[in-house]
Amino acid sequence: MKLAIPEALGRHSTVAGARRSGAVRFIARLWRKSSVAGLAVYALALGGALGLATADWATSGGYPFGGVQVGAWTAWPRAGAASADPYTRAVNARRGEIPLAVGEGLLMTAAVDDAGRALDATCTYQIGGATPSARAWTLTVAGRGPREPGRAPVREGFTSTEVLRTPDGRFTVMLGPDVQPGNWLPSPRASGPVRLALRLYDTPAAASVGSLDRTSVPAITRLGCAS
Amino acid sequence: MNLRFVYATLLGLVIAGIVHIAAVLAIPHLSDKDAVSRARTSENLDHPQPIYTVATGDDPSPPEAWLPIPDPAVAVGVCAYDLTEGPMRVSARTGPLSLSLAAHARRGAFYAVTDQAAVRGALDLVILTRAQYDEALADDDENDPSRDVRIVAPDNRGFVVVRVIAGLPSQRPAANAAVQAVSCSTDTATDDTAKDTSGKGTGR
Repeated sequence: MKLAIPEALGRHSTVAGARRSGAVRFIARLWRKSSVAGLAVYALALGGALGLATADWATSGGYPFGGVQVGAWTAWPRAGAASADPYTRAVNARRGEIPLAVGEGLLMTAAVDDAGRALDATCTYQIGGATPSARAWTLTVAGRGPREPGRAPVREGFTSTEVLRTPDGRFTVMLGPDVQPGNWLPSPRASGPVRLALRLYDTPAAASVGSLDRTSVPAITRLGCAS
Repeated sequence: MNLRFVYATLLGLVIAGIVHIAAVLAIPHLSDKDAVSRARTSENLDHPQPIYTVATGDDPSPPEAWLPIPDPAVAVGVCAYDLTEGPMRVSARTGPLSLSLAAHARRGAFYAVTDQAAVRGALDLVILTRAQYDEALADDDENDPSRDVRIVAPDNRGFVVVRVIAGLPSQRPAANAAVQAVSCSTDTATDDTAKDTSGKGTGR
């Protein structure tokens, strides 16, 4: 009785092994029979599927290249230029985006704070300091994907004209889910990742992004998280 | 045997690279959702088609805005052009709000100008092909030089984007109106009558 189980198991495994070796032999026979045409079909199918899949992956979502890192911000100076790389052009075409031209302005985005942690809607952030010289700028916040339908739109951003400033001309914007004194930017949604966009209009920085450094862009500091 | 399979896989990877590059390069030409294709509906209008109007008071921004992440303080309009019908003239009058014009073709923006470049409060942009540019130069009256800004477009088709920034919420209706106040017209001929009727007077 005690011996029967391993015996049965052993028999079962030998049956499975025989079936597997049979399958292997079948594939091997098929393989031997397969002509150059079969291999060519395989190579073409592999190439086509892999090529299209990687092209789709590289051009969906944000721009894969062309960003210039300035502190927590990424500037996209060439997103709208005629000399933009093919990936940027493909991304623009797929999204229907009309990027800012170099003579018009500069888009900067941030998805992380100064410490490198991802921006989250449940956390409170202090965004403050100076901006590169520009005729006007807007600082906006957006969540990923479409807007939540039930949420009343309070405020999506500040412009350089309407932001409250300290006497030295600097400003501090508080981004968080709870009401704050001063420049309060409500979190766009209850939870999840958020992105900040700083659009500089009519700025000389668009032509010389290399001259920007950490002190010339607003600092993003995390003050605390609700959960 | 296995070597043949390895060769086929390597060949497949090379084909994958070629297909990847070809697909990325082809996407701007094949896409029907890109800005040039979508702007085409505005070709017959004589003013920009608003594609993003800023929210005013109780009026939220319309949902048909196709910009993925628009700036909530900037009103955007587009004028599509087809240069086979003649040069495209964009006339704007400067106002209290900052305005910018950018000319885009399929490859991207090839020209941008803000209202700070306006001459006596007027900004006249003429987009033409190389042949139309030469013709316009030849037709120029030496005693009365044209004040138009002439830009040679790389393609026949494209669009001009008008952006007006509303710095304050109270300026938002004015920003929407300022986009509509820009005139986009096709210069059917280079004679002066067409220039006068389409270029001046319709700016505001």
